Amino acid sequence: MHLLEVGNLTKRFGGITAVNNISFHVDEGEILGVIGPNGAGKTTLFNLITGYLKADSGKIRFNSEDVTGLPPHKIANKGLARTFQVVRPFRHLPTIANIIVALNSPRGKKKIEWVKTPERKAMEMLEDVGLTEMMLEPAENLSHGDLKRLEMARAMALEPDLILLDEPFGGLSLVETDYMVKSIQRMHLDGHTIVIVEHKLQALMRLVKRVIVMHMGEKIAEGTPEEIAKNDKVIEVYLGKTI
Amino acid sequence: MVVKYFRKAYTRFATYIYDIPPRMLAFLLIIIFALLPVAQLDVYTLTLLASANVMAIFAASWDLLVGRTGQISLGHSVFYGAGAYGAAALFQSFGWPFWMTIPVSILISAGIALLIGFPCLRVKGPYLALVTMSIPLVIAYFLSYFSEISGGQHGLPLEGLLPELFPGLAFADKLKANYYLTLSLMAISAIILYKIANSKTGVTFVSILDDELASKACGINVTKYKLMAFVISGAFASLAGCITAYIYRSATPPFFDLSISIPPLVVTILGGIGTIYGPLFGTYIYFFLDGYVLKKIIPVASWQYFGLKWEYAKLLIFVVIVVIFIIKWPRGIAKGTVEKLEDLEEAREIEEIEKKGDKTE
Repeated sequence: MHLLEVGNLTKRFGGITAVNNISFHVDEGEILGVIGPNGAGKTTLFNLITGYLKADSGKIRFNSEDVTGLPPHKIANKGLARTFQVVRPFRHLPTIANIIVALNSPRGKKKIEWVKTPERKAMEMLEDVGLTEMMLEPAENLSHGDLKRLEMARAMALEPDLILLDEPFGGLSLVETDYMVKSIQRMHLDGHTIVIVEHKLQALMRLVKRVIVMHMGEKIAEGTPEEIAKNDKVIEVYLGKTI
Repeated sequence: MVVKYFRKAYTRFATYIYDIPPRMLAFLLIIIFALLPVAQLDVYTLTLLASANVMAIFAASWDLLVGRTGQISLGHSVFYGAGAYGAAALFQSFGWPFWMTIPVSILISAGIALLIGFPCLRVKGPYLALVTMSIPLVIAYFLSYFSEISGGQHGLPLEGLLPELFPGLAFADKLKANYYLTLSLMAISAIILYKIANSKTGVTFVSILDDELASKACGINVTKYKLMAFVISGAFASLAGCITAYIYRSATPPFFDLSISIPPLVVTILGGIGTIYGPLFGTYIYFFLDGYVLKKIIPVASWQYFGLKWEYAKLLIFVVIVVIFIIKWPRGIAKGTVEKLEDLEEAREIEEIEKKGDKTE
């Protein structure tokens, strides 16, 4: 039984087919990478899975439950968390309160051990991503790299069964990317299941065991990083045709 | 030169107040307000202060919805009027005692808030402002259409509360009783609203103001929380309406007027949006400007405005003030001062740490 099963998912925006008949699955405990050139439909795929967009056709099953067409907050409460490509912090709230919001959701409340207060748990989540010092600072004062980590901590506060990371390395410096790779590896070792959409292939290939390649809304290849790197179709998509 | 001196004096004065713990400050303010009638104030001032207290409840409730949750409502007079008419109908037609009419009409208004909020909160930003603004207009029309039930332009009379509470009270004492009633209700409502705004629910409200999509990703049922803010805000607004109806002894169509919905916006911007204490502060400034400066010192109120009513001409003046505030001091007086002092304190602390560092070296 797969943790997430996506079957024949299709989404059209007017005449453009953003996601065309895509099927894939995610097993428990793995890291799956989704790559593809700009406009391949990766983010649309994420938005479909997390309920931000309604699919025209196709099925999404999560934890052997049909979640197709559910609103985003219900999907999040079932244990499918996400981050955003462009950071979306709660700018007026202190960093710690950003996490308290997630802990205030039904799933967040349920997952707090009874000996802990939400504040205590939020502090631990911040410690995990190294933001303890910025705890009381309003989120608008944080740097981009800090915000990326804050966003991940916020998604982790729901203790999700599956977490979708939309370009976790976007706009990060080399050092920050390295830190992020390490924290994702740590999450993976803790037994979390992760799906990553990313452009920075070098960082991604260090993490994943299995990759899906998308192009023009379609899945063109699937396999281990080594297989993908040798795949003619993928090379053609990224670098152009050989003459 | 003068401005510089004034600014320095103001900062020093504000620092003294800022150093008092917030709870102590709230307590002191309530005591000062409670002692005001002892100073033999005239009828006009006492009435003005009583209306200011009511307006403070109304403005604070508006701030919870708009400043904290980000759902702009320009039709808050719906709840104000609903509270007034509810109390009047229950008291006059059904003969209920006054202490039952207030909670029941608040409950009715909360129900109305739920009914209005459910369809309205599907639109956002300026569209929501337009939709909410149109609702009181529709209700005012219905009131004049069903004039047999609603009393038309004369509204519903409401005799009671104070005569019933204290039979045989002298006129001056009635005014004082009014004042104390409004003051105590204001204090209670302000504390409750402040507690809600700073609770975990309040934090969730702010998350919706900041980013609705991200709140959804956190598993927050955005619609539920928006409705919750709408209902809480509506309930307190209707409390203000109730009390006003009891003080003016009638519930009339002007309770639904636009000139009721705009002042909360004005005072909230004056005091500082999204803080709850901001609108309270702004309300008293507003009433001071409106009741003293514009009526006694510069008697603008008695001038002619091309046949325009003073209530509307007044809005024009205050809208100009609001525009100036939005451009020059968008954080308002109270919030701006608090944030400035926080910055100063931080700078002071950093300076002290640096000094200590020098010594150890």
